[in-house]
Amino acid sequence: MPPETPEPVLTGLLTVDAIEGGLARVELEDGSVEDWPLASLPRGVQEGDVLRLHVEAGDLTVEIDHAATRERRHTAQAQLDALNVVPPAGEIDL
Amino acid sequence: MRPLLALAALSFGLASAQTPGVLTIRFLDVGQGDAVLVTSPEGKSLLYDGGRSETRMQVLLKKYGVQSLDLIVASHGDADHITGLIPAVTLFKPKFFLNNGIAATTQTWSRLTQAAQQAGTQGLLARNQVINLGSVKVTVLPPPPGMPRDEQNVNSVGLLVQYGTFRLLMTGDSETPETQAWLKTYPASFLGPVDVYKSIHHGAANGDHLAWLQAVRPRNVVIGVGENNYGHPTAQALDLYKRMGAAIYRTDLNGTVTVTVQPGGKYAIAVERGPAVPKAATPATPPVSSPTRPTPATPLYRSCAEARAAGAAPLRRGQPGYNPALDRDGDGTACE
Repeated sequence: MPPETPEPVLTGLLTVDAIEGGLARVELEDGSVEDWPLASLPRGVQEGDVLRLHVEAGDLTVEIDHAATRERRHTAQAQLDALNVVPPAGEIDL
Repeated sequence: MRPLLALAALSFGLASAQTPGVLTIRFLDVGQGDAVLVTSPEGKSLLYDGGRSETRMQVLLKKYGVQSLDLIVASHGDADHITGLIPAVTLFKPKFFLNNGIAATTQTWSRLTQAAQQAGTQGLLARNQVINLGSVKVTVLPPPPGMPRDEQNVNSVGLLVQYGTFRLLMTGDSETPETQAWLKTYPASFLGPVDVYKSIHHGAANGDHLAWLQAVRPRNVVIGVGENNYGHPTAQALDLYKRMGAAIYRTDLNGTVTVTVQPGGKYAIAVERGPAVPKAATPATPPVSSPTRPTPATPLYRSCAEARAAGAAPLRRGQPGYNPALDRDGDGTACE
């Protein structure tokens, strides 16, 4: 008898775009955005946090990936700082 | 045809044309989010936020015949404000990208900064500065010092847009801590009254509050709002606007709301669709949203020294306080 095929384990990342009252607006890996109940996310979750999803045997767990959050913040801030370099002095005429 | 329908039809008819010689401001119907397109009489344009959909923004840019963008502004880094800026920067390669200096962690934000980099668009960290969009004066309200950097809303970048006596104020999704700090930073005469005001945070309960609105004194409020799960706009915000006697426009009910401003500051407001918007009911002030609204008195500087002392020089034709007698070479700029 062949061994039973193990149930696939699903994982993924979410990014918290904003928290609006009892909802968290989260960005999925494909870039789309959904509203999730804040209560379904880990306690203490903050805007900008990267969340790691894990689905196994029908159970969903969500945890804050602090290392990924730090890395994202660092990379994104470096990109923006590079873009913002050399501010023009005085008034700007367009 | 009823007057409103005629106005709406006129708005459709002129949808793809920029009326020459006037300032045009379009509160774009982007669904739940904000996007405001400002085009100067000289054809210079800025886009303040871009809504939450790249596709929708592309459609709107085409619909309104946008030929170029000189400046894009992200009031803050939330997706419902920045997503549409990605195609805008890619298509038009604006010269500058004004931002609050605090990167968001989303892929959407990262794509926006990458698009700006590829377009050769220079980032501008918001600070106390004036950006002249042709003859339209745009004053930047940077986030006040001391706002927590891990909260985008309270670090929203505001813009005060002035043309003649006309004044438009937009402050992103700012919340009470930021507006309280601005109240301490700016005199009430700077903040208000404003002819048109963008509702804070789509009419959320944590945005506009009485003390702030008493300083801003909005005559007309436009709410950028669409279908949403957050309860925007809240009854609390709507009640506040009514208490201020402001006429209320909503992009979910009225579609794109277009403000056209004549040299000097007289303005008219047209809606794309929806119910008639009652005029503001402020007995102590003149009627609003009327093309024949009387132009309030402007400060007229007697000398350039006076204008410089007030921090108003140089003064361009169309800006409050411009005095032709001080424009010696007649090039439209006084006290150069």
